[in-house]
Amino acid sequence: MENVLLVTIFMGTLFFLLGTGVWVGLALFGVAYLGLEMFTTRPAGDAMLTRIWTSSSSWTLTALPLFIWMGEILFRSRLSSDMFRGLAPWMARLPGGLVHINIVGCTIFAAVSGSSAATLTTVGKMSIPELRSRGYPEYMIIGTLTGAATLGLMIPPSLTLIVYGVTVEQSITKLFMAGILPGILLASLFMAYVAGWSFVKRDEVPVITEKMTFAEKVKESRFLIPIVVLILVVIGSMYGGWATATEAAAIGVVGSLLLAALQGSLTWDAFVASLLGATRTSAMIALILMGATALTLAMGFTGLPRALAEFIGAMELSKFSLLMALMVFYIILGMFLDGISSVVLTMAIVQPMVMQAGIDLIWFGIFIVVVVEMAQITPPIGFNLFVMQGITKHPMGYIAKTALPLFAIMVGMVFIMIAFPELATWLPSTVKNASGG
Amino acid sequence: MQAVGKILRPALDKLYLTSGIMASLFLILILLLIVAQMVARWTGSVLTGAPDFTGYSMAASSFLALSYALNRGNHIRVSLLLNVLGRYRRYGEIWCFGVGSYLAIFFAYFAIKSTFESYRFNDISQGQDAWPIWIPQIFMCVGTVIFAIAFIDHLFALFTTGNHRIDEETLDANAE
Repeated sequence: MENVLLVTIFMGTLFFLLGTGVWVGLALFGVAYLGLEMFTTRPAGDAMLTRIWTSSSSWTLTALPLFIWMGEILFRSRLSSDMFRGLAPWMARLPGGLVHINIVGCTIFAAVSGSSAATLTTVGKMSIPELRSRGYPEYMIIGTLTGAATLGLMIPPSLTLIVYGVTVEQSITKLFMAGILPGILLASLFMAYVAGWSFVKRDEVPVITEKMTFAEKVKESRFLIPIVVLILVVIGSMYGGWATATEAAAIGVVGSLLLAALQGSLTWDAFVASLLGATRTSAMIALILMGATALTLAMGFTGLPRALAEFIGAMELSKFSLLMALMVFYIILGMFLDGISSVVLTMAIVQPMVMQAGIDLIWFGIFIVVVVEMAQITPPIGFNLFVMQGITKHPMGYIAKTALPLFAIMVGMVFIMIAFPELATWLPSTVKNASGG
Repeated sequence: MQAVGKILRPALDKLYLTSGIMASLFLILILLLIVAQMVARWTGSVLTGAPDFTGYSMAASSFLALSYALNRGNHIRVSLLLNVLGRYRRYGEIWCFGVGSYLAIFFAYFAIKSTFESYRFNDISQGQDAWPIWIPQIFMCVGTVIFAIAFIDHLFALFTTGNHRIDEETLDANAE
């Protein structure tokens, strides 16, 4: 790395622009321009635009707006309002009772929507009032919800994983499959926490007396069952190799439109709102990706990624200490940036480092998602904290404190993944290859 | 001045909304193209060039919606420092929108330049569609130009009214 001063200016400008509130995508774009001007004699603007056009018109990327759209449709359907009623009969007998609805509800909604804010809003709106009225303690309601909503980033379809897959050029189907088992395990650990709480603080758990027969339970959850079937079809079509991630997303959109129409909740207004919402959100992510594409191009010329990879190689760090360092790094970064931005911003530098250390990129995708998820519930900037504050009006510090046990569980999850990497790598290795694209 | 505003204001708002609606029509097109490709594959036929057109629609949708997403406060930024500024926030915003306008104009300029060069050298798509690449690139030009106009619009409002025109902190269902 010959140009230490130039690299310092380059990175300094990046953090200055981001820190002063310039939009993430544009900040990356601007710094890329600066970098190309400083480190090369190539015409910067032309090189950037060629690269941006190629990446923006990529076929793989189309999975992104479609999965967003699917989430937007179901978000506006009866799914949200019927979820509590549908889940309650099944959860009532578990130790810890209806608090489990927060976790199972988040897991199900995470499987139709790729983001944690949507998951949190949808599940929170219906479960908070119901749980309060039944006398569950506030800190358990808020904490489990805030923590479990982060599953949205992990359980397929996950927007963060699509963006990661496009950035490091890995199969999105494989990344999705890799997220399933760790996602389910994490949800189970959260549920174990709730069960543990119910044994330790027996007096805080309200007693539920109502009993239902199996048939009544099924009847209560009749609106939920079609959604679960849709999820299984979308994920199954990818797993079985019948559809690529993009095609599965299209199946998801068509399926959710049909479901919403059958339930009678697909009004013209809801359709237009879902379409426009999906258009805006995907344009937001597209702008970040455009900036990141340009930055990756510029980063290559700075020599920074190679130098860092060699540096890490020379230090002969064990995989474990490298991953620990990255975990701390991403938690700090995630305190200020959202998940998708932190992933695309760092990949140009982190990818060579990780490959040098011989870490599997699919596994690393899940690792990075868990770590970014943790950052969503850490102050000062955690998106889930913001959303939760909006719903409950509790101060952010209180919300963060209630979610602290779940944060600890996620840290534990990272160690479990390092100890048993097969959790993430086994399922993708059994996927049948899709015939197209 | 006010007379100009009376004509310009609704015209600009219509421009942003129209490009947003066009972007969403391209999103519908993506869905239709992908469904068509799937159906074609099941029935054993091939839609030549369909993957390329899907990619173009993706680009068109992203670029056309840039300004619409900006006006609705969807684009992500770190507002920590801006919030700390309190009553001096306006100066912070002027910096942000100033830098934003500059970069957006730069973006639009080079988008037009590279599209013009595709046209001049008659670049043909590498894919099976074999279309001249400048045709889909037109949407990149239109989108980035409107994006730049939107930025200047907000910057101008900051100077005249002291406030930009973004509905701040609207959290969409999927805005992470």
